[in-house]
Amino acid sequence: MGAELGNYKSCVSARSTDKEILRHAQDGGIVTQLFGFALDEGIIDGAIVAATKEFAHKHPEKAMMDNSNMEFHEPWRPIPVVVTTKADMLAAAGTKYNISPNVSLIKEATRSFGLDKVGIVGTPCQMQAVRKGQLYPIGLRDVGSSIALAVGIFCMENFPYQSIIQLVEDHAAMKMESVRKMEIGKGKFWVYGKRGQVVQLPLKVTHKYEQPGCHVCLDYVANLADVSTGSVGSPDGWSTVFVRSKIGDSVWGKAMAAGCFETQPIEKVKPGLELVTKLANEKITKNKKTLEERATFGVGKALRNPYI
Amino acid sequence: MSKVVEISPTTRHEGHSKLVLKVNDAGIIETGNWCSITPVRGVEKLAVGKTPEQVPKIASRVCGICPIAHTIAATEAMEASIKCEIPKDALMLRHILQLANRLHSIALHDILILPDFYIPGTETKINPFTAEEPVRSVAKRIQRLREIGQTIGQISGGECIHPSNTRVGGMYRNCSEQAKTKMYDLAKEGLVLAHQQAEFMIAVIRNYHKRDFVDVGGMKVALPKNLGFHDQGYLATHAFYGSSSLEECPSWDPNRFKEVRPWDWYMGEMTVDLEEPKYPIGGTTKIGTKVNPQMEACTGIPMYDGQPVEVGPRARLVTYKYFDEKGTQGQNVAREMEYQDCLYEMIDCIDLLNPNGKVVADYIPDGDGSLGWATNEAPRGTDAHIARVKDWKVQYFSMLVPTTWNFATCSKALEGAPWQLAEVIMRGYDPCVSCATHMIVMDEDNKLVAQKLIQ
Amino acid sequence: MADKITVGYTHLSGCTGCTVALADNYAGLLTLLDKYVDLKYMPTLADARHIQKVDVSFVEGSCCINDKLAVEELKETREKSAVVVALGGCACYGNITRFSRGGQQNQPAHEAYLPIGDVIKVDVYIPGCAPTPQMIRNVAVMAYLLLKGTKEQKDLATAFLKPLMMAAQKGTTACFCDLMTEVINQGLCMGCGSCAAACPVRAITHEYGKPQGVRDLCIKCGACYNQCPRSWFSFDVVSNYEAINEAIMAALQ
Ligand SMILES: Cc1cc2nc3c(=O)[nH]c(=O)nc-3n(C[C@H](O)[C@H](O)[C@H](O)COP(=O)(O)OP(=O)(O)OC[C@H]3O[C@@H](n4cnc5c(N)ncnc54)[C@H](O)[C@@H]3O)c2cc1C
Ligand code: SF4
Ligand code: SF4
Ligand code: SF4
Ligand code: SF4
Repeated sequence: MGAELGNYKSCVSARSTDKEILRHAQDGGIVTQLFGFALDEGIIDGAIVAATKEFAHKHPEKAMMDNSNMEFHEPWRPIPVVVTTKADMLAAAGTKYNISPNVSLIKEATRSFGLDKVGIVGTPCQMQAVRKGQLYPIGLRDVGSSIALAVGIFCMENFPYQSIIQLVEDHAAMKMESVRKMEIGKGKFWVYGKRGQVVQLPLKVTHKYEQPGCHVCLDYVANLADVSTGSVGSPDGWSTVFVRSKIGDSVWGKAMAAGCFETQPIEKVKPGLELVTKLANEKITKNKKTLEERATFGVGKALRNPYI
Repeated sequence: MSKVVEISPTTRHEGHSKLVLKVNDAGIIETGNWCSITPVRGVEKLAVGKTPEQVPKIASRVCGICPIAHTIAATEAMEASIKCEIPKDALMLRHILQLANRLHSIALHDILILPDFYIPGTETKINPFTAEEPVRSVAKRIQRLREIGQTIGQISGGECIHPSNTRVGGMYRNCSEQAKTKMYDLAKEGLVLAHQQAEFMIAVIRNYHKRDFVDVGGMKVALPKNLGFHDQGYLATHAFYGSSSLEECPSWDPNRFKEVRPWDWYMGEMTVDLEEPKYPIGGTTKIGTKVNPQMEACTGIPMYDGQPVEVGPRARLVTYKYFDEKGTQGQNVAREMEYQDCLYEMIDCIDLLNPNGKVVADYIPDGDGSLGWATNEAPRGTDAHIARVKDWKVQYFSMLVPTTWNFATCSKALEGAPWQLAEVIMRGYDPCVSCATHMIVMDEDNKLVAQKLIQ
Repeated sequence: MADKITVGYTHLSGCTGCTVALADNYAGLLTLLDKYVDLKYMPTLADARHIQKVDVSFVEGSCCINDKLAVEELKETREKSAVVVALGGCACYGNITRFSRGGQQNQPAHEAYLPIGDVIKVDVYIPGCAPTPQMIRNVAVMAYLLLKGTKEQKDLATAFLKPLMMAAQKGTTACFCDLMTEVINQGLCMGCGSCAAACPVRAITHEYGKPQGVRDLCIKCGACYNQCPRSWFSFDVVSNYEAINEAIMAALQ
C-alpha cells in the first residue's frame, strides 16, 4: 500500500512537558498542550473540543445545543464546546469513546463566539469533514480561512453512547460513574475504575458495538489534519505525532522551540511506526472489503459508496 | 400626440421590473407605470398552516437584500400575535443585526447608482468595477463597508444574508464577550469609512444634479431641477428599527392602511410606438409590442390614508429628522446620511448588549389566533408584517413590503421628467423587487385586519 | 480581455441572496472581474438587459412554469451558454419555492415552480441558501482554469468540478430527509456534525452524535447533504486541499 500513513513532514514520539496536562490527558497530552500553546501565542483564539455533559450543563453558552435533558447526568458522554482558556481545555482533555460531533460548532465558533482563528480536534473522519468544508463550503460561509489549527486523533472505530454503557456496565461490570479512564490499546479495550480496578475486554467483544459508519472509513491516522496524534506506536504515556501541513509544521516547530514537548525519534521507540502501519493497513483493508461487499449487498442492488 | 415607450427589464436593482411610459412630443413623461414582473411565489399563501418558527425563515427568502427586515418583521409579527415579550438582550442583538444589514445595503446601492453619475469635474461616467483610480479606492471602500456590515450581521444573526439566529421568543444564542469586542472594533472601523464614503457620494450626487444636461446612451438630455419630485406623503415607523402591536403607542396604524389592485391604478393595454435603439444597453422595447401594465404588474397598490406614500431613507429623515430635500437628489442624499447614524446607533447597541443576559423568553405561548403585526424599517422602507397564530400554526400571514409602497409613489414621481431619466428616478428608490411580489391585501375585504385589531 | 471567460447571470424566481453572496467576495470580486471574468449580463450588478452568448451562465432562482418569460429566459440561457451553473438552493432543488401553491395576488396563477434542472440540462450545482461566496469564487476560478488553463490546470478543474457535476445529475430534490435516506439509512453516518453546521435554518441538532432534523423547519436547500463528507467525497481532490486552497488564494491576489 504505502499511502496508509498519509503525507507527513515529520513524525516523532512526544509528550507534554506540563505535568498538569499529563495528569488529565489521554496519552502524551499532545492535543491539550498544542492548543494551550497556540492559544497563548495567538495562533488560535479558541478551540472546539469534546467536553463532558457536566461541563456543558455548567456552561451552556459554550456548548453545542441539543435537546437532551441537561439535568440528567450522563458520564462519559461528550458534548462539543468552544473553549477559550487553558483551564477549560484541561477540563475537556481525555478520550471519550463515543461520538462527539465537533464539526457541528465550526460555523458557530466564527459567529456568536466571535473567533477569528479556530482550533478543532477530531477523528480522521472529522478532519475529512473540515477539509471538504474548506474546499467545498456549501453551507460554511467564511469558515474555511478561519480554521487555524486542525488536530487529528488516530481512530480505529467509534461507538454510540449506548454501546459504551453496555461495554462498561455489562461486559466490564462497572458503573459508568466509577470509570476513571477508557482506552483501546494492545489489542484490548481497557476500563480503569476510580478505585483502581482494571478490566480488559478483547476487541472481539467490542466489534458488535461499533458505529456502522466506521466500517467504510479509510483513514486511521488523520491524514488530513495539520498535526495528528495517537498512542499507537509510542510507549505508555507517550504519543506518536505526525506533522503534516505547513500550518502544522509551523505550529509544531514553535511549540518545540518553546519547550512544550519532549520527544524521542520515532525510529528509536517501541513498537514504533511498524505497528502504526500494520494497524492502518488492517483498518483500510478491512473497510475496503466492506465497501466492496456493499456494492453487491442486495440482489441487483448496491449500497451507496460515498467515495468518488 | 403622446407616445408609449417601454424600458424592460430595468437594471441595477434587485428583481425584475419594467417601466411603461406615456410621453409627450418633447419626450416628457405624462404618465409613468413602474411595475414588477417578478413571478409571485405566494409566500403569504404558503405560510398558512406552517409553524410560526418556519414562516419567518421562508419570509426571509423573499428578498436577499433586506432579508433581515423580513426575518425580524415576520418573527415579531408572530410574537405580537402570540403576545410574547422577548428579553432585552435578544432585542439588542436584533437591533445590531438590523443596522448591520442597512450598512451593507447602503453600500451596495452605491455600486448600483454610481454608473449614472459623473466623476466630479469631468465628463466621465463612473464604472464602479474599473481598476482605475479614483474609482478603485471607492469600490474597495464600498466592499470593506459591506464586509463590515455583513460580518457584524453574521456574528449577531448567525448568517448575514438569511439570518439563522433569530427565533420566535428571542434569539438562539447570545454573543460572547469576544464576539462583542469584535463587533465593536468593526463598527469603529466602519464609522471612519462611512464618513468618507458618505462625503464622497453626496459630492457626486450633488455634482450630477447641478448639471444642465446629462448623457444617456449618447443622447443629450436636459436635467430638470425637480427630477423625481412628487406630492405624495411619507411613511416611516421608526428612525431605524420598527414598531409592533405589542407596543403601547405603536407608530403604524393598520386602520389607515388600504390596498387596491393595479387594475384601478395602472394603464391598460397599449402599443409601444416610440423606440430608441440608442438607449443603454440594447435599446428600448420594439415598436408594435403590446404592453399592459394593469394585467402584467405583479404587485398591489398599498395606500396610507387613501394615497400611495413614499417609504425609505428620505421618509425616515423627513419623519424623524426634519429633512426637507425633495426629489431623486434628496432621496439619494438621505440614504447617504443614514450611513453614519447606522454605525453610531450600532455602537450604542453593542455597548448595551450584556453577553451574559438570557436571549430566549421563558414562556412562548402557542397563540390564540389574535392578530399581531410588526414593522421593521428595511433599508428601503417600512416592512409591515401581519400574522395570526393559533395553536402554534399560522392562520394568516401578510407582508407589506417596502418596494411595494414605493411602486405607485415612484410612478407619480416619474411625471414631468424626460423618459430617458426614468431609471435614474427609479433607482433613487433603491428598489428591491422580488419581495414586492409577495404583498397581499387582507383576503376577504380590506377592513378585516382593522376590525379585528380594534376588537 | 481575451483571456477572461465570459459569464452571464440569469435571475429567475430567486431572492437575489445568491447575488449578494457573489458580491460578498468583497475585494475578491474586484479581482475576479479584473482578471478572470468578463461579466456579460447580470440584471442587478451589471448594466445589461438581455441574455448573451457566454462561456458560463449562473442561474439564480427556480423557474415558474406559469410565467412565459421565465421559461423563455431559462431556455435561452441554456442555448447561449456552454456551461450552466445552478446557483443556490432554489435553482438546484427548488428550496422554499417547493412550498409554493399559488393563489396570491396579483398573479394567482403563478403556482408551479421547478428547479431549473427539471426544465433544462444543468452542468454544475452550487447548493445552499444562500450559497457561500467562497463556493461561488472556487467554481468561478475552476471554470476559468477549465476553459483557459494548461493541461494540468484543466485536469485539476475537472476533478474539482466533478462532484458538483454529479450533484447536478443526481436529481432536483433536497431535504433533511436525504441525511436519513442516503446517509444514515445507508449505514454511512459517523456523526461528524457537518450537516448541523451547514444548515442555514438550524433545523439540525445532534442527539447522541447523530443528526436529528426538524423537518417542518427545513427549507429544502440541500446544504446539509452536500456538505456531509459521506454524501460525496473525492480523496484525489480533498487530499490536495492545501495546494488547491493556495492556488485559489494566489489567483485572487
Ligand atoms: C473514538 C476514538 C478512537 C481512538 N482510537 C485510537 C486508536 O485506535 N489508536 C490510537 O493511537 N489512538 C486512538 N484515539 C486517540 C487517543 O485516544 C487520544 O485521543 C489521542 O492520543 C490524544 O491524546 P492526547 O493525550 O494527546 O490528548 P488530550 O490532551 O487528552 O486531548 C484529547 C482531545 O480529544 C478530544 N476528544 C475526546 N474524545 C473525543 C471524541 N470522541 N471525538 C472528538 N474529540 C474527542 C478532547 O476533547 C481533547 O481535546 C482514539 C480517539 C477516539 C476519540
Ligand atoms: S473509524 Fe473513521 S468514521 Fe469512525 S469515528 Fe473513526 S475516523 Fe470516524
Ligand atoms: S437559494 Fe436562497 S439565497 Fe438563493 S435565491 Fe433562493 S432563497 Fe435566495
Ligand atoms: S454530515 Fe453526514 S456523516 Fe456527518 S453527522 Fe451529518 S449525516 Fe452524519
Ligand atoms: S435540513 Fe437544513 S440544510 Fe438540510 S435541506 Fe433542510 S434547510 Fe437545508
